[in-house]
Amino acid sequence: MSDRGYLWLALLFYATSCALAILRLRECGSLPALRRLNSVVMICGFALHTMFLFVRGHNVGRCPLTNSCDTTVFITWAAVLFYLLIGSSYRVSFLGEFTAPLVLAICLVALLALSDTPPAQPLSRSPWVHFHAAIAILAYGAFALAFVTGGMYLVQERQLKTRQLSSSFLLLPSIEQLDVINFRLIVLGFGMLTVGMVGGMISYRIVGHWTTPKIVWAVAAWLIYGLVLVARRVWSLRGRKIALMSMVSFAFVLVTFWGASFLSSAQHGSP
Amino acid sequence: MNLITIGLNHRTGPVEVRERISFPKAKLGEATCSLLAAVPLHEAAILSTCNRVEIYGLTSDASRASGAVRRFLHEHHGLIESVEAHLYEFRDHECVQHLLEVTCGLDSMVIGETEILGQVKEAYLMAQQAGATGMALNRLFQKAFAAAKHVRTATAITRGSTSVGSVAVDLAEKIFRDLGSRTVMVLGTGEMSEATARTLRSRGAGSIIVCSRTQERAETLASQLDGCAISYNEWPTEFPAVDVVISSTAAPHPILTLEKLMPLMKLRKQRPLFLIDIAVPRDIERACGELENVYLYDIDDLQQIAQQNIAAREREIVGCHALIAEHVERFIVWFGSNRGALEKRYAERTRDASLPREAHTHAS
Repeated sequence: MSDRGYLWLALLFYATSCALAILRLRECGSLPALRRLNSVVMICGFALHTMFLFVRGHNVGRCPLTNSCDTTVFITWAAVLFYLLIGSSYRVSFLGEFTAPLVLAICLVALLALSDTPPAQPLSRSPWVHFHAAIAILAYGAFALAFVTGGMYLVQERQLKTRQLSSSFLLLPSIEQLDVINFRLIVLGFGMLTVGMVGGMISYRIVGHWTTPKIVWAVAAWLIYGLVLVARRVWSLRGRKIALMSMVSFAFVLVTFWGASFLSSAQHGSP
Repeated sequence: MNLITIGLNHRTGPVEVRERISFPKAKLGEATCSLLAAVPLHEAAILSTCNRVEIYGLTSDASRASGAVRRFLHEHHGLIESVEAHLYEFRDHECVQHLLEVTCGLDSMVIGETEILGQVKEAYLMAQQAGATGMALNRLFQKAFAAAKHVRTATAITRGSTSVGSVAVDLAEKIFRDLGSRTVMVLGTGEMSEATARTLRSRGAGSIIVCSRTQERAETLASQLDGCAISYNEWPTEFPAVDVVISSTAAPHPILTLEKLMPLMKLRKQRPLFLIDIAVPRDIERACGELENVYLYDIDDLQQIAQQNIAAREREIVGCHALIAEHVERFIVWFGSNRGALEKRYAERTRDASLPREAHTHAS
């Protein structure tokens, strides 16, 4: 099977998870089997998602971050990884049901709209290049999941504020838990992005070339999330505003990444 | 061989009647034994809760047993006035259906409440310990428990809180990560605020501060809830540390206004605050609820949610009846095919009355 075939199969599982989410909302969560089934579906999706990256990496002979398509897919993979880690350790109910649609949508954009051609120039084999890129991708995965928890926060907060409790009210976790997880994900993402950028500087010294749009993009993302941290820690902003900021930040970073890679594809191709 | 149930519930009999014929838990075993001695029943169980008193039994002569059970109820409790008008009677199919509906909470005052399942289990256990159950009632009660479990997992009949206090706690659980580290302030003592605070406490709320204009009442409630009492003037100083406020003072004007709350929220570093206003006239200005991280619910909001939950449960009733009907049908088929065996067994026992009843129970 081609590498893209694995990804399409993974997306089928994520789509199933979305359907299960709707079913759970309709049943008001009265079927506990649906929750377990969704976890299994997400794990299957993740396994196929991993297969895509593995086969793609094998085909290109390096970490599969060669173009905007596989980089985007890698970010969503990291998001699912964080969902599996956080959803189980923090017992965040309904996190998977919110993660699946985001991953599905982003991967569809990657598969259908983004360029998936191998890079034109020879690629560096320096481990630093791979390390800094991979850790930065993990950071964006954390930001993606912060986007998801931010969305969940806004849904639950709105129900509490308007006093209109829908069937999702009992399924979603408490807003405070969502707030805490959202913030921890941003701290984690920010930390990894910082390490990634330091790694990037070292690899620049070794390899000696860079791609301007990508650097601008990484610095912009770093500044934006730095601002979210300042807002929370220094200005004592909480809850709704932080949730909104985490969502807007990720949307901005993702859209500018696609824009930047579109620009840089003319220059370098490799992110 | 017939299954029979005779009894009354909150719909057929007022509390004055129910309390007169209820069986105290400690004497239930004894009562079951005297029931079996007085009434021609082969097997029997007494279900006695605050909302119902029901006698379930297996008999070879239903009409004689019916009269005898009615007489037993009057004689055992020494009733002078007849409670006959409040009693209902079901046989076989209807009897099975009734027990299953009771066990599933469909016959309860609050539809879908789950306390009744424990009460039926207890009644069954008491009857079993008294050696009053046998092949038929053992199977009937096991079926009832299985049906209750099935109905509970397959429908939303037990979903959503139906009282103001538990709705408030549900909301608190969706605002705060864990209630254990939270401080609750009870402003003004009233029945409803007390009940709400108690529910919060039982679901794990950390510490409770009680504040009332009458210090004595504050102290009494505080000691009941294992909290501390403060004087009425102190509440604004304690407020920044509080996460949940249950307010029910008799003040004619709002005691917590937007102007007062805004600086307090800054002091609290915008931590979420849950305000429960059950006072009429209201204690907390409605505008407070528009502040970020403040969640304000008044008595109408809470009652409305409870009503919605009750309505949602009522929509589930049809589905529950369908599931119960399946279980009833299966039991009736079993009962029909085992009627002969039951008749034979109890005919033998009637012949040999010296044989202890336990032997039959074990044999089943």
